[in-house]
Amino acid sequence: MNDRRRVNGPPGGTRPPVYASLLQSGTGAGDRAQRQRQPTELRKIFLKTGLIPSASGSSYLEFEPSASLAAARANPKSLIPPSSALKLACTVHGPKPLPRSAAFSPNLVLTTHVKFAPFAARKRKGHVRDSSERDLGVHLETALRGAIIAERWPKSGLDITITILEAEDDRWWGDAPDSHDASWGMMNVLAGCISAASAAIADAHIDCLDLVSGGVAALVSDDSTESPSTAPKLMLDSDPAEHRSIVSACVVAYMPARDEITELWLKGDSSKASLAEGDERSGHEALIDGAVNAARGAHTVLAEAVRESLQKALGQS
Amino acid sequence: MASAAAPPAAPNSLSLPPSQFARLQPHAYLLAHLSPPPAINQPSIRANGRAASQFRVTSANAGSLTHTNGSAVVRLGDTTAVCGVRAEILHTDDIASWSVSQSTNANKRRRLADSEKPTDESDDAEDEEDRAHVEDLNLLVPNISLSTGCAPGFIPSAPPSALAQSLSHQILSLLHTTRMVRAEDLRIWYQPPNLGPEELERHNEEEQMDVDAGQGLEEESKPAEIKAFWVLYIDIMLISLAGNPFDAAWAATLAALRDTKLPQAWWDIDNETIFCSDKVTESRKLSLRGLPIASSFCVFEADAAAGWRAVVIPDAEEQKALEKKGSQQKWILADPDGYEEGLSQERVCIVVDKEENGKGKTVVVKMEKHGGWTVDSDDLRQLVDVSASRWEEMKRILDQC
Repeated sequence: MNDRRRVNGPPGGTRPPVYASLLQSGTGAGDRAQRQRQPTELRKIFLKTGLIPSASGSSYLEFEPSASLAAARANPKSLIPPSSALKLACTVHGPKPLPRSAAFSPNLVLTTHVKFAPFAARKRKGHVRDSSERDLGVHLETALRGAIIAERWPKSGLDITITILEAEDDRWWGDAPDSHDASWGMMNVLAGCISAASAAIADAHIDCLDLVSGGVAALVSDDSTESPSTAPKLMLDSDPAEHRSIVSACVVAYMPARDEITELWLKGDSSKASLAEGDERSGHEALIDGAVNAARGAHTVLAEAVRESLQKALGQS
Repeated sequence: MASAAAPPAAPNSLSLPPSQFARLQPHAYLLAHLSPPPAINQPSIRANGRAASQFRVTSANAGSLTHTNGSAVVRLGDTTAVCGVRAEILHTDDIASWSVSQSTNANKRRRLADSEKPTDESDDAEDEEDRAHVEDLNLLVPNISLSTGCAPGFIPSAPPSALAQSLSHQILSLLHTTRMVRAEDLRIWYQPPNLGPEELERHNEEEQMDVDAGQGLEEESKPAEIKAFWVLYIDIMLISLAGNPFDAAWAATLAALRDTKLPQAWWDIDNETIFCSDKVTESRKLSLRGLPIASSFCVFEADAAAGWRAVVIPDAEEQKALEKKGSQQKWILADPDGYEEGLSQERVCIVVDKEENGKGKTVVVKMEKHGGWTVDSDDLRQLVDVSASRWEEMKRILDQC
């Protein structure tokens, strides 16, 4: 399968480098990244709109690097990064007339594209969108569709494109993939995509019910001893690289003004959770509440970024 | 821009803002900026406020992406390119024709060693091998992606457009012709250990050989062999496109390659594979040959049909000569933005380098001109000078990042 539209590498294929330190100490060398934040403390978010002038709306989002990554950057010792921080750019083109061939639509037709840069993750990604990227696109579309007032733009289309320059890890790099493993990093990426897309839509001056923001919460068990008594704990804005195993995670797209969830994605077994004394909620309720709280946190950043974008637009005109 | 722009064609009573006029009559708008009437004492300036040979504000930042061996972000005004370099390993076992090509190379090397030729010729041979390894084995793999929503025209899910394909190819051919990346940096050597005593033992078991012959063999150590190559995947994402994608992409590639660190790698004979060390202290940077800097120009013509008219209607020649006295007919604009690119046909791209790290003379690495015939050799000479001064500026920016 040779892609003739791109420059291809050697026909025999290449192999990613294997680090010798990984083999010497069995399960992995170096210190495991540790979460330095409180369970309810979120990472800082950098969000800026209007960086891409040729688009009608755009935004750039970046998560604060975790403590271990910041330390590794300041004082580089190993070539293997301990964790990674999300970086993504979002553009909105439209509303624009639908192509002639398209069927009549009384509403705004929303299309979302999510693409990882080939260098976004630990494993090199292909140039063609794979199924996980398409899946993210669908999740993002449902999250945004609930927020946009689509009846105001009949017969028009809106293209939302997200380029992920750096993704989140699915696990700590030293861990071997095991049964607990799912693509947990994807959920953080989706939360970032939702917040960034929401800012870009606001930057394009498209009417929405409210700014929709994304938040992640997870039930994690960090104990190395697998005793049944220690139930997983609830963590907000969990970075998968910082936890030994994630039992269950949830991402929501949430509109605070209407107290409405437009998208909910929950994975894993949330039946067991160690909550505070007297907390009667079941595991998944606590998880969803946690994700909503994380989304509320992201919303404050989002509102600030949109205010900035509006002030800039008013200053120009 | 707004204050400078009231073009003479639009009377004041008609309250058309300059931005509207720019959209309705782009050619007249830019022409009015470049040739203001002599009555209002204004210099000729582009619609974006730059002088004709002025480049946009450029900034570069390297090494901010975590999962790359080297990365850079270059902003050229509103055009932004992100480049990430990822190194992977190509084992010589995976190269189909390796054993064949290697034996001929080995012969060549032996011949050289025998004849003890002067150094310049052996340099040539080394260069030839450099070229053969980097180009024939596809060790450099640049790809530009424009489907990032960088401009309205590109559909994100579509395969690479003709522009993206052409840009990728231009980057690749420029990487090859400048021979910027040395093949030696990309080779992973293996020195087979000297198994002299062991061999000797075996010999002793089989037949009683005299010790002198065995030691003679021992002294002639086995030649080092190439076990693998590093392959550099150079991926350039144009995040924002507002004209002149090539300069931005090339600058990003250059900055990322300057930032690239390759880990120490060795062939492990027990596992029959390549292992790398993750220590930063053991990794090494690429030693690049030179610093070629690209500068693009576009030609804006007051009357694009003038040249053709001279051919079709010979009488027009005199008229043209008359016109030439009065006013300028063409402007060569450095670092065109999207608006200017849309109004011009003729493009010039010049890649220059300076010998001895800027102290030596200027070398033209690549010169490309297409789309028209208004730029003559004098103009090109001037453009090379402009590119040379741009080289200084870019070197400063790249050294800082």
